[in-house]
Amino acid sequence: MGSGSSPCASCKLLRRRCAKDCIFAPYFPADDPHKFSIVHKVFGASNVSKMLQELPVQQRADAVSSLVYEANARVRDPVYGCVGAISYLQNQVSQLQMQLAVAQTEILCIQMQHHQDDSALALPTQMQHHDDDDYKPFLLPTTHNLDNISQYINFASSSNVIQDPAATVKRESLWT
Amino acid sequence: MSSGRCAACRYLRRRCTQDCILSPYFPSNNPQRFASVHRIYGASNVTKLLQRLPTHLRAEAADSLYFEAQCRLEDPVYGSVGLIFLLQQQIHSAESQLIKTQAEVAVMKSQTQHPQTQPFRAISGSNNLLLQQSDNDANLSFSNQVSSGFI
Repeated sequence: MGSGSSPCASCKLLRRRCAKDCIFAPYFPADDPHKFSIVHKVFGASNVSKMLQELPVQQRADAVSSLVYEANARVRDPVYGCVGAISYLQNQVSQLQMQLAVAQTEILCIQMQHHQDDSALALPTQMQHHDDDDYKPFLLPTTHNLDNISQYINFASSSNVIQDPAATVKRESLWT
Repeated sequence: MSSGRCAACRYLRRRCTQDCILSPYFPSNNPQRFASVHRIYGASNVTKLLQRLPTHLRAEAADSLYFEAQCRLEDPVYGSVGLIFLLQQQIHSAESQLIKTQAEVAVMKSQTQHPQTQPFRAISGSNNLLLQQSDNDANLSFSNQVSSGFI
């Protein structure tokens, strides 16, 4: 890496001398020429260099990995690139949300049915267990049931589909 | 005819010809769109990429390039890959919740069909429900969730 005798993959492709402080050398070793080649093809060496220079050193490896990933996606699918995968995953999230809503509604219906059955049997109120802290008031008199349905229909807010590319998450590393 | 230049040619300070490949996708009323794409990909790479595509696919390609460029500008480390990772996490979480909820439904249905085994009391949708059972002859069917593999 970065030594005069062994240029990194970037400098080899760009046919230039690989300096000791070559910004590419740590991330584009000579034994994997394809990695830099694909990134250069999509983003261009100069853009990649600028992007890396703007990042702290400890974040550059992850940045390179994500750039390689995006470049591969773009080469495989020149029209949509990574956006194709994002659409697919968003669709999956939506489908799961719908299935969960259906299942939660089913629970509601069964519980309401049980409540009606219990009422019909005129069970004494002492036998109804309300000792669970998480107990949701499904079994309140029917006039109140509809007020509580929405909290069971809605999927947890953490799983809302991402609409805004600004909604990113900082993390340790994706690549372990 | 500087007033007729597309955003790309205006940014690059060049004459915008009739057959400018970028002008349909980078109109002059949205200069920021080309600026973002240029910053990440460079005008020459964008031009080459669009040239390789049939005309009817270029608009979609320009849109996806813009989207990815925006993701990269907002998250210089992970770009749009960060969004992919987040969606995968959401899918895993949703799948777990769905499996749990469907199991609860199965148990509740089984209780409904065999009420003599144990009086059923609804407790909120949590694992407590499964722990309440002594004789569980419920036919738990877990639907196969599509894995979140992609590309």
